[in-house]
Amino acid sequence: MELKNLSIRQLNNLFIEKKAKPSELYSDIFDTSANSESLLHAHLTLFEEKNIENAKNSDNRFENGKSTGLLDGIPIAIKDNINIKGELTTCSSKMLSNYRSPYNATVIEKLNKENVLYTGKTNLDEFAMGSSTENSAFGLTKNPWNTDYVPGGSSGGSAASVSARSAIGALGSDTGGSIRQPAAFCGLVGFKPTYGTVSRYGLIAFASSLDQIGPITKNVDDARIIYNSISGHDSLDATSIDSKQIKIPFDKSAKIGVIKELMEDGISDESRNEVNKVLQGLKEQGYQIKEVSLPLIKLSISIYYLIAPAECSANLARFDGVRYGLRVEGKTSYEMMQNTRAEGFGDEVKRRILLGTYALSAGYYDEYYGKALRARKKMIDEFSNIFNDVDFLISPTTPTAAFKAGEKTSNPLEMYMSDLCTIPANLAGLPSISIPTGLSNENLPLGVQVMSKPLTDLSLLSFSEIIEKEVDFNATPEGFGK
Amino acid sequence: MSDFDIKSIAKLASIKLSEDEQEKLTNDLSIILEHVQALSSLELDTNIEDVFIHPLEKELKLVEDIENESLTHDEALSNAPESKDGRFVVPPSME
Repeated sequence: MELKNLSIRQLNNLFIEKKAKPSELYSDIFDTSANSESLLHAHLTLFEEKNIENAKNSDNRFENGKSTGLLDGIPIAIKDNINIKGELTTCSSKMLSNYRSPYNATVIEKLNKENVLYTGKTNLDEFAMGSSTENSAFGLTKNPWNTDYVPGGSSGGSAASVSARSAIGALGSDTGGSIRQPAAFCGLVGFKPTYGTVSRYGLIAFASSLDQIGPITKNVDDARIIYNSISGHDSLDATSIDSKQIKIPFDKSAKIGVIKELMEDGISDESRNEVNKVLQGLKEQGYQIKEVSLPLIKLSISIYYLIAPAECSANLARFDGVRYGLRVEGKTSYEMMQNTRAEGFGDEVKRRILLGTYALSAGYYDEYYGKALRARKKMIDEFSNIFNDVDFLISPTTPTAAFKAGEKTSNPLEMYMSDLCTIPANLAGLPSISIPTGLSNENLPLGVQVMSKPLTDLSLLSFSEIIEKEVDFNATPEGFGK
Repeated sequence: MSDFDIKSIAKLASIKLSEDEQEKLTNDLSIILEHVQALSSLELDTNIEDVFIHPLEKELKLVEDIENESLTHDEALSNAPESKDGRFVVPPSME
Protein backbone atom coordinates (compact mmCIF):
# COMPACT_ATOMS: atom_id res chain seq x y z
CA MET A 1 0.00 0.00 0.00
CA GLU A 2 1.20 3.48 -0.81
CA LEU A 3 2.34 5.68 2.07
CA LYS A 4 -0.34 8.33 1.42
CA ASN A 5 -3.10 5.81 2.20
CA LEU A 6 -1.79 4.97 5.67
CA SER A 7 -2.89 6.38 9.01
CA ILE A 8 -0.73 8.82 10.99
CA ARG A 9 0.15 6.11 13.52
CA GLN A 10 1.12 3.62 10.78
CA LEU A 11 3.30 6.25 9.09
CA ASN A 12 4.97 7.18 12.37
CA ASN A 13 5.77 3.52 13.02
CA LEU A 14 7.32 3.15 9.55
CA PHE A 15 9.42 6.29 10.13
CA ILE A 16 10.58 5.05 13.55
CA GLU A 17 11.41 1.61 12.15
CA LYS A 18 13.26 3.37 9.28
CA LYS A 19 11.15 1.55 6.70
CA ALA A 20 10.06 4.86 5.17
CA LYS A 21 11.04 8.53 5.35
CA PRO A 22 8.92 11.68 5.70
CA SER A 23 10.54 13.05 2.51
CA GLU A 24 9.32 9.99 0.58
CA LEU A 25 5.80 10.57 1.89
CA TYR A 26 6.04 14.27 1.05
CA SER A 27 7.03 13.58 -2.56
CA ASP A 28 4.31 10.88 -2.78
CA ILE A 29 1.77 13.49 -1.67
CA PHE A 30 2.97 16.06 -4.20
CA ASP A 31 3.01 13.50 -7.03
CA THR A 32 -0.68 13.06 -6.21
CA SER A 33 -1.48 16.75 -6.10
CA ALA A 34 0.29 17.29 -9.43
CA ASN A 35 -2.56 15.26 -10.95
CA SER A 36 -5.43 15.90 -8.58
CA GLU A 37 -5.22 19.68 -8.37
CA SER A 38 -6.03 20.28 -12.04
CA LEU A 39 -9.05 18.02 -11.64
CA LEU A 40 -10.30 19.09 -8.21
CA HIS A 41 -8.79 22.48 -7.27
CA ALA A 42 -8.57 21.58 -3.57
CA HIS A 43 -5.62 23.88 -2.76
CA LEU A 44 -5.36 27.60 -3.41
CA THR A 45 -1.64 27.63 -2.55
CA LEU A 46 0.78 24.68 -2.65
CA PHE A 47 3.91 24.75 -0.50
CA GLU A 48 5.93 21.96 -2.13
CA GLU A 49 9.27 23.69 -2.62
CA LYS A 50 9.22 25.43 0.74
CA ASN A 51 8.99 22.22 2.71
CA ILE A 52 11.50 19.99 0.94
CA GLU A 53 14.16 21.13 3.41
CA ASN A 54 11.79 20.64 6.35
CA ALA A 55 10.98 17.12 5.12
CA LYS A 56 14.70 16.32 5.09
CA ASN A 57 14.99 17.68 8.63
CA SER A 58 12.23 15.28 9.65
CA ASP A 59 14.15 12.45 7.96
CA ASN A 60 17.20 13.35 10.04
CA ARG A 61 15.27 13.47 13.31
CA PHE A 62 13.90 9.96 12.72
CA GLU A 63 17.31 8.79 11.58
CA ASN A 64 18.80 10.05 14.87
CA GLY A 65 15.92 8.83 17.03
CA LYS A 66 14.94 12.41 17.90
CA SER A 67 11.51 12.76 16.31
CA THR A 68 9.11 15.22 17.91
CA GLY A 69 6.12 12.90 18.00
CA LEU A 70 3.31 11.42 15.94
CA LEU A 71 2.92 14.44 13.66
CA ASP A 72 6.60 14.89 12.83
CA GLY A 73 6.86 14.88 9.02
CA ILE A 74 3.11 14.43 8.43
CA PRO A 75 1.71 16.50 5.51
CA ILE A 76 -1.34 18.48 6.65
CA ALA A 77 -3.47 20.86 4.56
CA ILE A 78 -4.68 24.11 6.13
CA LYS A 79 -7.94 25.85 5.30
CA ASP A 80 -7.20 29.26 3.84
CA ASN A 81 -8.89 31.18 6.67
CA ILE A 82 -6.19 30.12 9.18
CA ASN A 83 -3.11 32.32 9.33
CA ILE A 84 0.37 30.99 8.62
CA LYS A 85 2.99 33.70 9.03
CA GLY A 86 4.31 35.06 5.74
CA GLU A 87 1.81 33.10 3.64
CA LEU A 88 -1.30 34.23 1.81
CA THR A 89 -4.55 33.89 3.78
CA THR A 90 -7.23 34.77 1.26
CA CYS A 91 -10.42 33.35 2.82
CA SER A 92 -11.24 32.69 -0.87
CA SER A 93 -12.19 36.36 -1.12
CA LYS A 94 -11.16 39.11 -3.52
CA MET A 95 -11.03 41.23 -0.37
CA LEU A 96 -7.94 39.36 0.87
CA SER A 97 -6.42 38.06 -2.37
CA ASN A 98 -3.05 39.63 -1.51
CA TYR A 99 -3.14 39.40 2.28
CA ARG A 100 -0.03 37.87 3.82
CA SER A 101 -0.41 37.13 7.48
CA PRO A 102 2.18 38.76 9.75
CA TYR A 103 1.53 36.17 12.48
CA ASN A 104 0.70 32.50 13.08
CA ALA A 105 -2.64 31.23 14.34
CA THR A 106 -2.26 29.43 17.68
CA VAL A 107 -3.09 26.09 16.01
CA ILE A 108 -0.20 26.70 13.59
CA GLU A 109 2.20 27.52 16.45
CA LYS A 110 1.18 24.20 18.01
CA LEU A 111 1.58 22.20 14.79
CA ASN A 112 4.93 23.89 14.13
CA LYS A 113 6.22 22.55 17.46
CA GLU A 114 5.39 19.05 16.20
CA ASN A 115 7.15 19.66 12.87
CA VAL A 116 4.12 19.12 10.68
CA LEU A 117 4.77 19.62 6.95
CA TYR A 118 2.07 21.80 5.44
CA THR A 119 0.88 20.90 1.94
CA GLY A 120 -0.58 24.36 1.43
CA LYS A 121 -3.77 26.35 1.90
CA THR A 122 -7.12 24.93 0.83
CA ASN A 123 -10.15 26.39 -0.91
CA LEU A 124 -13.31 27.35 0.98
CA ASP A 125 -16.55 29.21 0.54
CA GLU A 126 -15.69 32.90 0.85
CA PHE A 127 -15.06 33.71 4.54
CA ALA A 128 -16.36 30.17 5.31
CA MET A 129 -19.91 31.15 4.33
CA GLY A 130 -21.42 28.31 2.36
CA SER A 131 -22.00 24.59 2.14
CA SER A 132 -20.50 23.67 -1.23
CA THR A 133 -17.22 25.61 -1.78
CA GLU A 134 -18.98 27.17 -4.79
CA ASN A 135 -18.77 30.60 -3.15
CA SER A 136 -14.99 30.83 -3.55
CA ALA A 137 -13.79 33.87 -5.51
CA PHE A 138 -11.07 31.63 -6.98
CA GLY A 139 -13.23 28.89 -8.49
CA LEU A 140 -15.02 25.88 -7.07
CA THR A 141 -13.55 22.66 -5.70
CA LYS A 142 -14.85 19.34 -7.00
CA ASN A 143 -15.70 16.16 -5.14
CA PRO A 144 -13.09 13.41 -5.73
CA TRP A 145 -15.87 10.79 -5.69
CA ASN A 146 -17.55 12.38 -8.69
CA THR A 147 -16.38 15.67 -10.12
CA ASP A 148 -19.91 16.71 -11.12
CA TYR A 149 -20.69 16.99 -7.41
CA VAL A 150 -19.66 19.49 -4.74
CA PRO A 151 -17.25 18.42 -1.97
CA GLY A 152 -19.43 20.23 0.59
CA GLY A 153 -18.34 23.30 2.45
CA SER A 154 -17.17 25.50 3.62
CA SER A 155 -14.02 23.39 4.24
CA GLY A 156 -14.46 21.71 0.83
CA GLY A 157 -10.82 22.12 -0.22
CA SER A 158 -9.59 20.53 3.02
CA ALA A 159 -11.95 17.56 2.60
CA ALA A 160 -11.18 17.11 -1.12
CA SER A 161 -7.42 17.18 -0.45
CA VAL A 162 -7.59 14.41 2.18
CA SER A 163 -10.04 12.38 0.10
CA ALA A 164 -7.78 12.64 -2.97
CA ARG A 165 -4.73 11.81 -0.81
CA SER A 166 -2.98 15.11 -1.52
CA ALA A 167 -2.77 15.53 2.28
CA ILE A 168 -2.76 13.04 5.16
CA GLY A 169 -5.07 15.22 7.22
CA ALA A 170 -6.39 18.76 7.16
CA LEU A 171 -7.59 21.56 9.38
CA GLY A 172 -10.99 23.04 8.71
CA SER A 173 -13.24 25.41 10.59
CA ASP A 174 -16.85 24.66 11.51
CA THR A 175 -19.45 27.37 12.17
CA GLY A 176 -22.58 25.44 11.18
CA GLY A 177 -21.18 22.16 9.87
CA SER A 178 -18.28 23.31 7.70
CA ILE A 179 -16.00 20.46 8.87
CA ARG A 180 -18.56 17.67 9.27
CA GLN A 181 -20.63 18.22 6.12
CA PRO A 182 -17.68 18.19 3.66
CA ALA A 183 -16.18 15.24 5.56
CA ALA A 184 -19.47 13.35 5.09
CA PHE A 185 -19.65 14.31 1.39
CA CYS A 186 -16.07 13.10 0.80
CA GLY A 187 -16.15 9.85 2.86
CA LEU A 188 -13.99 11.16 5.72
CA VAL A 189 -14.02 11.78 9.45
CA GLY A 190 -14.72 15.40 10.40
CA PHE A 191 -14.52 16.51 14.02
CA LYS A 192 -15.84 19.77 15.47
CA PRO A 193 -14.48 19.99 19.04
CA THR A 194 -16.25 21.50 22.06
CA TYR A 195 -16.41 25.27 21.59
CA GLY A 196 -13.45 26.87 23.33
CA THR A 197 -11.19 23.81 23.47
CA VAL A 198 -9.25 24.86 20.34
CA SER A 199 -8.03 28.45 20.15
CA ARG A 200 -9.59 30.64 17.46
CA TYR A 201 -6.68 33.09 17.55
CA GLY A 202 -5.54 33.53 13.95
CA LEU A 203 -8.69 32.05 12.45
CA ILE A 204 -10.29 34.85 10.40
CA ALA A 205 -13.57 35.27 12.28
CA PHE A 206 -16.94 34.59 10.69
CA ALA A 207 -19.31 34.09 13.66
CA SER A 208 -17.25 34.16 16.82
CA SER A 209 -19.63 32.35 19.18
CA LEU A 210 -19.94 29.45 16.72
CA ASP A 211 -16.56 29.12 14.90
CA GLN A 212 -14.33 26.23 15.89
CA ILE A 213 -11.22 24.75 14.25
CA GLY A 214 -10.96 20.98 13.92
CA PRO A 215 -9.51 18.12 11.87
CA ILE A 216 -10.68 16.34 8.71
CA THR A 217 -9.01 12.93 8.41
CA LYS A 218 -9.27 9.43 6.97
CA ASN A 219 -10.02 7.85 10.35
CA VAL A 220 -10.95 8.66 13.95
CA ASP A 221 -7.49 8.05 15.41
CA ASP A 222 -5.92 10.60 13.04
CA ALA A 223 -8.55 13.13 14.15
CA ARG A 224 -7.69 12.44 17.79
CA ILE A 225 -3.96 12.88 17.16
CA ILE A 226 -4.51 16.26 15.49
CA TYR A 227 -7.06 17.33 18.12
CA ASN A 228 -4.65 16.46 20.94
CA SER A 229 -2.03 18.61 19.25
CA ILE A 230 -4.14 21.71 18.53
CA SER A 231 -6.33 21.87 21.66
CA GLY A 232 -5.58 23.59 24.96
CA HIS A 233 -6.21 26.87 26.70
CA ASP A 234 -4.93 30.00 24.98
CA SER A 235 -4.93 33.40 26.63
CA LEU A 236 -4.98 35.02 23.17
CA ASP A 237 -8.57 33.81 22.71
CA ALA A 238 -10.95 35.21 25.34
CA THR A 239 -13.41 32.38 24.67
CA SER A 240 -10.81 29.65 25.16
CA ILE A 241 -11.79 27.21 27.93
CA ASP A 242 -9.37 26.25 30.68
CA SER A 243 -11.18 23.06 31.72
CA LYS A 244 -10.28 19.41 31.86
CA GLN A 245 -11.97 16.79 29.73
CA ILE A 246 -14.90 14.93 31.31
CA LYS A 247 -14.89 11.15 30.92
CA ILE A 248 -18.17 9.47 30.05
CA PRO A 249 -18.71 5.74 29.36
CA PHE A 250 -18.33 4.67 25.75
CA ASP A 251 -18.50 0.93 26.30
CA LYS A 252 -21.77 -1.02 26.36
CA SER A 253 -22.90 0.82 29.49
CA ALA A 254 -23.20 4.01 27.42
CA LYS A 255 -26.73 5.13 26.61
CA ILE A 256 -27.42 6.18 23.03
CA GLY A 257 -30.13 8.62 21.95
CA VAL A 258 -31.50 8.92 18.43
CA ILE A 259 -32.78 12.42 17.70
CA LYS A 260 -36.37 12.01 16.50
CA GLU A 261 -36.51 15.38 14.76
CA LEU A 262 -33.44 14.56 12.64
CA MET A 263 -34.93 11.28 11.39
CA GLU A 264 -38.14 12.82 10.01
CA ASP A 265 -39.11 15.12 7.13
CA GLY A 266 -36.31 16.68 5.16
CA ILE A 267 -33.99 13.69 5.68
CA SER A 268 -33.50 11.32 2.74
CA ASP A 269 -34.15 7.59 3.13
CA GLU A 270 -30.49 6.97 2.34
CA SER A 271 -29.27 9.19 5.17
CA ARG A 272 -31.78 7.67 7.60
CA ASN A 273 -30.77 4.15 6.57
CA GLU A 274 -27.15 4.84 7.47
CA VAL A 275 -28.19 5.81 11.00
CA ASN A 276 -30.38 2.72 11.32
CA LYS A 277 -27.51 0.54 10.13
CA VAL A 278 -25.22 1.95 12.83
CA LEU A 279 -27.92 1.63 15.49
CA GLN A 280 -28.56 -1.99 14.55
CA GLY A 281 -24.87 -2.77 14.96
CA LEU A 282 -24.70 -1.02 18.33
CA LYS A 283 -27.82 -2.83 19.50
CA GLU A 284 -26.27 -6.18 18.56
CA GLN A 285 -23.23 -5.23 20.60
CA GLY A 286 -25.50 -4.66 23.60
CA TYR A 287 -25.85 -0.87 23.68
CA GLN A 288 -29.08 0.64 25.01
CA ILE A 289 -30.73 2.85 22.43
CA LYS A 290 -33.71 5.15 22.84
CA GLU A 291 -35.45 7.78 20.80
CA VAL A 292 -35.18 11.30 22.21
CA SER A 293 -36.87 14.53 21.24
CA LEU A 294 -35.32 17.99 21.02
CA PRO A 295 -38.21 20.07 19.64
CA LEU A 296 -36.16 23.25 19.17
CA ILE A 297 -33.84 21.52 16.70
CA LYS A 298 -36.52 22.15 14.09
CA LEU A 299 -35.89 25.87 14.56
CA SER A 300 -32.12 25.68 14.54
CA ILE A 301 -31.76 27.01 10.96
CA SER A 302 -33.87 30.05 11.88
CA ILE A 303 -31.83 30.66 15.04
CA TYR A 304 -28.57 30.18 13.21
CA TYR A 305 -29.41 32.45 10.28
CA LEU A 306 -29.98 35.33 12.66
CA ILE A 307 -27.05 34.79 15.03
CA ALA A 308 -24.39 33.88 12.45
CA PRO A 309 -25.13 36.80 10.07
CA ALA A 310 -25.35 39.22 13.03
CA GLU A 311 -21.89 38.17 14.21
CA CYS A 312 -20.60 38.11 10.64
CA SER A 313 -21.78 41.67 9.99
CA ALA A 314 -19.83 42.86 13.04
CA ASN A 315 -16.71 40.77 12.29
CA LEU A 316 -16.49 41.72 8.62
CA ALA A 317 -16.83 45.42 9.38
CA ARG A 318 -13.02 45.35 9.72
CA PHE A 319 -12.62 45.01 5.95
CA ASP A 320 -12.76 48.68 5.13
CA GLY A 321 -9.86 49.20 2.74
CA VAL A 322 -7.70 50.87 5.40
CA ARG A 323 -5.49 48.37 7.24
CA TYR A 324 -5.35 45.36 4.94
CA GLY A 325 -6.91 43.83 1.87
CA LEU A 326 -8.49 45.37 -1.17
CA ARG A 327 -8.98 49.11 -1.60
CA VAL A 328 -11.16 50.61 -4.33
CA GLU A 329 -10.65 54.34 -4.43
CA GLY A 330 -13.34 56.89 -3.66
CA LYS A 331 -13.42 60.65 -3.14
CA THR A 332 -13.99 60.31 0.59
CA SER A 333 -13.09 57.63 3.15
CA TYR A 334 -16.71 56.56 3.33
CA GLU A 335 -17.04 56.29 -0.44
CA MET A 336 -13.78 54.33 -0.60
CA MET A 337 -15.13 51.96 2.07
CA GLN A 338 -18.44 51.44 0.24
CA ASN A 339 -16.69 50.84 -3.08
CA THR A 340 -14.17 48.48 -1.51
CA ARG A 341 -16.82 46.35 0.18
CA ALA A 342 -18.95 46.32 -2.99
CA GLU A 343 -16.04 45.02 -5.04
CA GLY A 344 -14.34 42.84 -2.43
CA PHE A 345 -17.24 40.74 -1.12
CA GLY A 346 -19.12 38.08 -3.11
CA ASP A 347 -22.90 37.60 -3.22
CA GLU A 348 -23.28 35.23 -0.24
CA VAL A 349 -21.08 37.35 2.01
CA LYS A 350 -23.04 40.49 1.11
CA ARG A 351 -26.30 38.63 1.74
CA ARG A 352 -25.20 37.61 5.22
CA ILE A 353 -23.71 40.98 6.15
CA LEU A 354 -26.94 42.72 5.13
CA LEU A 355 -29.12 40.16 6.92
CA GLY A 356 -27.03 40.56 10.07
CA THR A 357 -27.01 44.34 9.83
CA TYR A 358 -30.81 44.28 9.61
CA ALA A 359 -31.19 41.81 12.50
CA LEU A 360 -29.03 44.07 14.68
CA SER A 361 -30.51 47.40 13.60
CA ALA A 362 -32.46 49.69 15.90
CA GLY A 363 -36.07 48.61 16.18
CA TYR A 364 -35.43 45.04 15.02
CA TYR A 365 -32.82 43.86 17.51
CA ASP A 366 -35.28 42.39 20.02
CA GLU A 367 -37.49 40.89 17.34
CA TYR A 368 -34.67 39.10 15.54
CA TYR A 369 -31.26 38.87 17.21
CA GLY A 370 -32.56 39.04 20.79
CA LYS A 371 -35.17 36.40 20.11
CA ALA A 372 -32.61 34.14 18.43
CA LEU A 373 -30.24 34.45 21.40
CA ARG A 374 -33.02 33.50 23.81
CA ALA A 375 -34.08 30.57 21.62
CA ARG A 376 -30.46 29.44 21.48
CA LYS A 377 -30.29 29.45 25.28
CA LYS A 378 -33.44 27.34 25.42
CA MET A 379 -31.95 24.89 22.92
CA ILE A 380 -28.80 24.60 25.07
CA ASP A 381 -31.08 23.81 28.05
CA GLU A 382 -32.85 21.13 25.98
CA PHE A 383 -29.51 19.51 25.19
CA SER A 384 -28.44 19.67 28.87
CA ASN A 385 -31.61 17.86 29.91
CA ILE A 386 -31.19 15.18 27.26
CA PHE A 387 -27.60 14.56 28.36
CA ASN A 388 -28.94 13.66 31.82
CA ASP A 389 -30.55 10.68 30.09
CA VAL A 390 -28.15 9.69 27.33
CA ASP A 391 -24.40 9.87 26.70
CA PHE A 392 -24.33 10.14 22.90
CA LEU A 393 -26.76 11.51 20.35
CA ILE A 394 -26.83 10.00 16.87
CA SER A 395 -28.26 11.47 13.68
CA PRO A 396 -27.41 11.70 9.99
CA THR A 397 -24.66 14.27 9.28
CA THR A 398 -26.42 15.57 6.19
CA PRO A 399 -29.99 15.28 4.88
CA THR A 400 -28.65 13.82 1.60
CA ALA A 401 -25.38 12.79 -0.03
CA ALA A 402 -23.43 15.44 -2.01
CA PHE A 403 -25.44 17.46 -4.51
CA LYS A 404 -24.42 18.52 -8.01
CA ALA A 405 -22.51 21.75 -8.55
CA GLY A 406 -24.97 24.52 -9.42
CA GLU A 407 -27.95 22.58 -8.02
CA LYS A 408 -28.57 24.83 -5.02
CA THR A 409 -26.90 28.10 -5.92
CA SER A 410 -30.07 29.91 -6.98
CA ASN A 411 -31.94 29.37 -3.73
CA PRO A 412 -30.02 30.38 -0.57
CA LEU A 413 -32.55 28.79 1.76
CA GLU A 414 -32.25 25.42 0.06
CA MET A 415 -28.48 25.58 0.49
CA TYR A 416 -28.90 26.53 4.17
CA MET A 417 -31.12 23.46 4.72
CA SER A 418 -28.18 21.16 3.96
CA ASP A 419 -26.80 22.16 7.40
CA LEU A 420 -29.95 21.14 9.27
CA CYS A 421 -28.29 18.32 11.23
CA THR A 422 -24.96 19.99 11.96
CA ILE A 423 -26.01 23.48 13.11
CA PRO A 424 -27.40 22.44 16.55
CA ALA A 425 -23.94 21.39 17.83
CA ASN A 426 -22.55 24.85 16.99
CA LEU A 427 -25.44 26.63 18.67
CA ALA A 428 -24.92 24.54 21.82
CA GLY A 429 -21.09 24.43 21.68
CA LEU A 430 -21.10 20.60 21.67
CA PRO A 431 -18.39 18.29 20.36
CA SER A 432 -19.65 16.59 17.24
CA ILE A 433 -18.19 14.20 14.71
CA SER A 434 -19.12 12.82 11.31
CA ILE A 435 -18.09 9.22 10.65
CA PRO A 436 -18.25 7.80 7.09
CA THR A 437 -20.57 4.78 7.02
CA GLY A 438 -21.59 3.92 3.47
CA LEU A 439 -22.36 4.93 -0.08
CA SER A 440 -25.52 6.24 -1.73
CA ASN A 441 -27.12 4.71 -4.82
CA GLU A 442 -25.05 7.17 -6.83
CA ASN A 443 -21.87 5.90 -5.21
CA LEU A 444 -21.39 9.01 -3.07
CA PRO A 445 -20.39 8.82 0.61
CA LEU A 446 -22.79 9.24 3.51
CA GLY A 447 -21.94 9.90 7.15
CA VAL A 448 -23.44 9.54 10.58
CA GLN A 449 -23.08 12.28 13.18
CA VAL A 450 -22.51 11.72 16.90
CA MET A 451 -22.72 14.49 19.51
CA SER A 452 -22.02 14.43 23.25
CA LYS A 453 -22.01 16.91 26.08
CA PRO A 454 -19.39 19.67 26.28
CA LEU A 455 -15.81 18.65 27.16
CA THR A 456 -16.35 14.96 26.43
CA ASP A 457 -14.39 15.18 23.17
CA LEU A 458 -12.04 12.30 23.94
CA SER A 459 -14.84 9.96 25.04
CA LEU A 460 -16.75 10.91 21.87
CA LEU A 461 -13.71 10.00 19.78
CA SER A 462 -13.39 6.64 21.57
CA PHE A 463 -17.07 5.88 20.99
CA SER A 464 -16.67 6.93 17.34
CA GLU A 465 -13.91 4.38 16.94
CA ILE A 466 -16.36 1.66 18.02
CA ILE A 467 -18.76 2.78 15.28
CA GLU A 468 -15.91 3.07 12.80
CA LYS A 469 -14.84 -0.51 13.53
CA GLU A 470 -18.38 -1.80 13.32
CA VAL A 471 -19.23 -0.23 9.92
CA ASP A 472 -15.77 -0.88 8.49
CA PHE A 473 -16.12 1.71 5.74
CA ASN A 474 -13.02 1.52 3.57
CA ALA A 475 -14.18 2.63 0.13
CA THR A 476 -12.09 5.27 -1.62
CA PRO A 477 -12.84 7.46 -4.63
CA GLU A 478 -11.87 5.88 -7.93
CA GLY A 479 -8.50 7.09 -9.09
CA PHE A 480 -7.52 8.20 -5.58
CA GLY A 481 -6.49 5.92 -2.73
CA LYS A 482 -5.68 2.19 -2.49
CA MET B 1 -42.86 40.21 8.19
CA SER B 2 -41.16 43.52 8.90
CA ASP B 3 -40.65 45.90 6.02
CA PHE B 4 -37.12 46.70 5.17
CA ASP B 5 -35.38 49.12 2.91
CA ILE B 6 -32.40 47.50 1.27
CA LYS B 7 -30.80 50.88 0.56
CA SER B 8 -30.75 51.92 4.20
CA ILE B 9 -29.41 48.50 5.31
CA ALA B 10 -26.67 48.71 2.66
CA LYS B 11 -25.80 52.17 3.93
CA LEU B 12 -25.53 50.88 7.49
CA ALA B 13 -23.32 48.03 6.24
CA SER B 14 -21.21 50.40 4.07
CA ILE B 15 -21.72 48.38 0.92
CA LYS B 16 -22.58 50.05 -2.37
CA LEU B 17 -25.16 47.95 -4.23
CA SER B 18 -26.09 48.06 -7.90
CA GLU B 19 -29.77 48.24 -8.90
CA ASP B 20 -29.71 44.55 -9.82
CA GLU B 21 -28.15 43.62 -6.50
CA GLN B 22 -30.74 45.66 -4.62
CA GLU B 23 -33.53 43.77 -6.33
CA LYS B 24 -31.99 40.34 -5.88
CA LEU B 25 -30.99 40.91 -2.26
CA THR B 26 -34.42 42.28 -1.38
CA ASN B 27 -35.90 39.06 -2.72
CA ASP B 28 -33.34 36.81 -0.97
CA LEU B 29 -33.65 38.58 2.37
CA SER B 30 -37.44 38.45 2.19
CA ILE B 31 -37.31 34.66 1.74
CA ILE B 32 -34.89 34.23 4.64
CA LEU B 33 -36.76 36.63 6.95
CA GLU B 34 -39.99 34.82 6.19
CA HIS B 35 -38.34 31.55 7.18
CA VAL B 36 -37.00 32.92 10.47
CA GLN B 37 -40.50 34.15 11.34
CA ALA B 38 -40.96 30.62 12.71
CA LEU B 39 -39.25 31.98 15.82
CA SER B 40 -41.88 34.65 16.41
CA SER B 41 -44.50 32.18 17.61
CA LEU B 42 -42.05 30.61 20.05
CA GLU B 43 -42.93 31.11 23.71
CA LEU B 44 -39.70 31.86 25.55
CA ASP B 45 -39.35 32.27 29.28
CA THR B 46 -35.63 33.02 29.01
CA ASN B 47 -34.62 36.55 29.90
CA ILE B 48 -32.10 38.24 27.65
CA GLU B 49 -30.04 38.90 30.82
CA ASP B 50 -29.58 35.13 31.21
CA VAL B 51 -28.19 34.74 27.72
CA PHE B 52 -24.44 34.58 27.34
CA ILE B 53 -22.46 34.99 24.18
CA HIS B 54 -20.23 32.03 25.05
CA PRO B 55 -22.39 28.91 24.68
CA LEU B 56 -20.74 27.25 27.68
CA GLU B 57 -19.24 29.84 30.02
CA LYS B 58 -20.93 32.68 31.83
CA GLU B 59 -17.90 34.91 31.96
CA LEU B 60 -15.13 35.51 29.50
CA LYS B 61 -11.66 35.47 31.01
CA LEU B 62 -9.67 38.65 30.71
CA VAL B 63 -5.89 38.58 30.50
CA GLU B 64 -3.65 40.45 32.90
CA ASP B 65 -2.73 43.89 31.61
CA ILE B 66 0.91 43.05 30.99
CA GLU B 67 2.91 44.23 28.00
CA ASN B 68 3.66 41.37 25.62
CA GLU B 69 5.45 40.91 22.36
CA SER B 70 3.17 41.97 19.53
CA LEU B 71 3.33 42.89 15.85
CA THR B 72 6.03 45.40 14.99
CA HIS B 73 5.03 48.73 13.47
CA ASP B 74 6.19 47.57 10.04
CA GLU B 75 4.36 44.25 10.32
CA ALA B 76 1.15 46.03 11.25
CA LEU B 77 1.47 48.23 8.16
CA SER B 78 2.68 45.44 5.87
CA ASN B 79 -0.75 44.77 4.33
CA ALA B 80 -1.98 48.37 4.20
CA PRO B 81 -3.21 49.47 0.75
CA GLU B 82 -1.45 52.80 1.40
CA SER B 83 0.84 53.98 4.18
CA LYS B 84 3.19 56.87 4.74
CA ASP B 85 5.56 57.85 7.57
CA GLY B 86 4.50 54.81 9.57
CA ARG B 87 0.79 55.57 9.31
CA PHE B 88 -2.22 54.31 7.34
CA VAL B 89 -3.26 56.73 4.61
CA VAL B 90 -6.97 57.21 3.83
CA PRO B 91 -8.88 59.58 1.54
CA PRO B 92 -10.27 62.76 3.17
CA SER B 93 -13.32 62.33 5.39
CA MET B 94 -15.17 65.11 3.60
CA GLU B 95 -15.04 66.29 0.03
